[in-house]
Order: sequence, then structure tokens, then C-alpha cells
Amino acid sequence: MHVPDGIIPLWLLLLLYAVSGLFLAFSIRRINNRFDDRLVPYMGVLAAVIFAAQLVNFPVPPFSSGHLVGSTLLAVMVGPFAGIVIMALVLFVQALYADGGLLSYGLNLFNMGVFSCFFGWGISLLLFKGMRKAMDEKRAVVIGTSIAAFITTVTAAFVLGLELLSVSGFNELALAAITGVHLVIGVGEAILTSVILLYFVRAKPKLISFLKDSDVHEIAEVIETDWTTPHEETKIIK
Amino acid sequence: MEKDTYTRFVIPVVIVLVAVISIIILGGLASENPDGFEWALFDFAGVTEPESGFPGLFSFLGEGPLVDVLTGAVGIVIVLFIGLLIFKATSRKE
Repeated sequence: MHVPDGIIPLWLLLLLYAVSGLFLAFSIRRINNRFDDRLVPYMGVLAAVIFAAQLVNFPVPPFSSGHLVGSTLLAVMVGPFAGIVIMALVLFVQALYADGGLLSYGLNLFNMGVFSCFFGWGISLLLFKGMRKAMDEKRAVVIGTSIAAFITTVTAAFVLGLELLSVSGFNELALAAITGVHLVIGVGEAILTSVILLYFVRAKPKLISFLKDSDVHEIAEVIETDWTTPHEETKIIK
Repeated sequence: MEKDTYTRFVIPVVIVLVAVISIIILGGLASENPDGFEWALFDFAGVTEPESGFPGLFSFLGEGPLVDVLTGAVGIVIVLFIGLLIFKATSRKE
């Protein structure tokens, strides 16, 4: 899903550079001073995990392949704002490796960071709140996030397809093709998301914002309403 | 306390990450097929692949599984290091 330079028209790249830049600046401001410095090593490790997971492609027989994006996973763990910051870092280093263009960086950050973090977080929250009534919260967060990761992958591919309609030769049939192949890639994303999330649920549950005893509620808070707070009783009073 | 976190958590996780990507890449388990985006754009829609502009920081090393493992490991450490700097700067000092 990493778009190289020389494909998308410059006006769209510049527009999405501006949009992503604004969201990134807002995200950094939003997380500033909202988490304990004892969490710093874990946040750094999360970024390294996402970078490593994106290094290797799993096969999508017979003709394609896919890799983890990890936006939904990040958004559920540390919130969409910190998720965007981590995705911005990972995508920037990847662009220096020529995996995704430098001019296309804003577009890639929009698709895999801004859009995917917020969309994945929203779907995960809805699923988590529904599932928590029927099962324990750790199981609900793993299952809900995995399903959300699948939906987010397919939707982000559709959004990328819409952007690609600006490219000569890419038509509605190709839009269906890119969305369709991501139905399979989304299954891989869901499996990898559940594996990584299971590890953190067992090793460091305090780093998962949806869980009751999390240490990252404050950084993950989006707006101060009951709807966006997984556990109303843990809402921070300012 | 913080030093303890680095030796007990950060360093072991980084070692595991490098080990896992080494096994996957050197073991030939990673797919060489185009990803979903590349397949849909270049193979399905028939759009011509552009000449690559910026070749990447480590392009002088050439290509191959060993290079992928080496550059991947360097990338993991770079991302970890910059991530630690960013989050240290934005964290609340206790």
C-alpha cells in the first residue's frame, strides 16, 4: 500500500501532504504531556514492532502479497493520535528506504496513518463496547480489534483506489480489483493484529487503552464524551 | 527502574524482531509477489511503473536477502531510537 513517487498527480500529493501535516502536528500537540515517561520504552518498541512487521510480505496466492499496516492495532493500544505519530515515523523511515515515495509521504501517511488510525479506532471501539457485554474485556479487545483491522484494511484500500482514479488507466474495475485483493490481505492483517495484541494483552496490558487498568487512557482520549471512553468509570476528570 | 525496562524488555524484543525477520527473509518465507496495490495498478490496470526517483539510503549495498536483513535490522534500531526520542520529548516527567 506504499505509493511511490511518479504515479499520483502532484496536486493530490500536495493536498494530502497538507492534510496529513496538520493532523500530525495536532496529534503531537494532543499527546504532549499526557503520558508518564515510564511508558516511553514501550512506545518506542511499538514503533519498532510495526516497522519490523511491515518489512515482510505474506503471500496472497496466486499473484499478490500483503503486509501488516498496524494502524488499527496502534489506535486501540495507544489511541489514534499516538498511532498517527508512530505511523508517521515508520512511514518516514520507510520512505528513506525508498519504500513509498518522499513526495507521496503525505498521501501514504493519510491512508495508513490518519484515515486508518481514526477509522480503525472507531470500528474497534464500537465492536469492543458491543462484545464486552458477552465476554471478558481482554477477549473482546482482541476479537474486536482483529475484525476492525480487517474492515479498516479493505476500506483503506478502497480509499487508495479512489485516489488512484486520478491516474490515467486506473478505472472502476481496477478500483474493485484493489478492494477485492485486500479482502484477502485484510485477513492476514486481522491474524497478525490478533497475534501481536495477544502478546501485549499478556505481557503489557497496561499499554492497551481499551482495557480498564490501562496506563494510557489519557493519551488515547479523543473527546471527552462517554461514547469515546471505553470505560466511563475510568474517565479522567480535569 | 527505567534502565531495567530497557534490559528486560526493549533489548530482548529488538533481538526477537531481528531474529524473526532474519528467519523469514533468509528462509525464503517472505513473498516476492507484488503487493495488493502494485498488483492492481501495474498488473491489473496496466499502468506503467514509473522510473524510481530516490533509490533509498542503502541502495549502494545492492539487493539480496542478506542486505534485506541487514538494512531491516538497522531500520528497526533507527525507528526505535527516533521513537524513544520523540516520546521522551513529549512525555510527562514524573
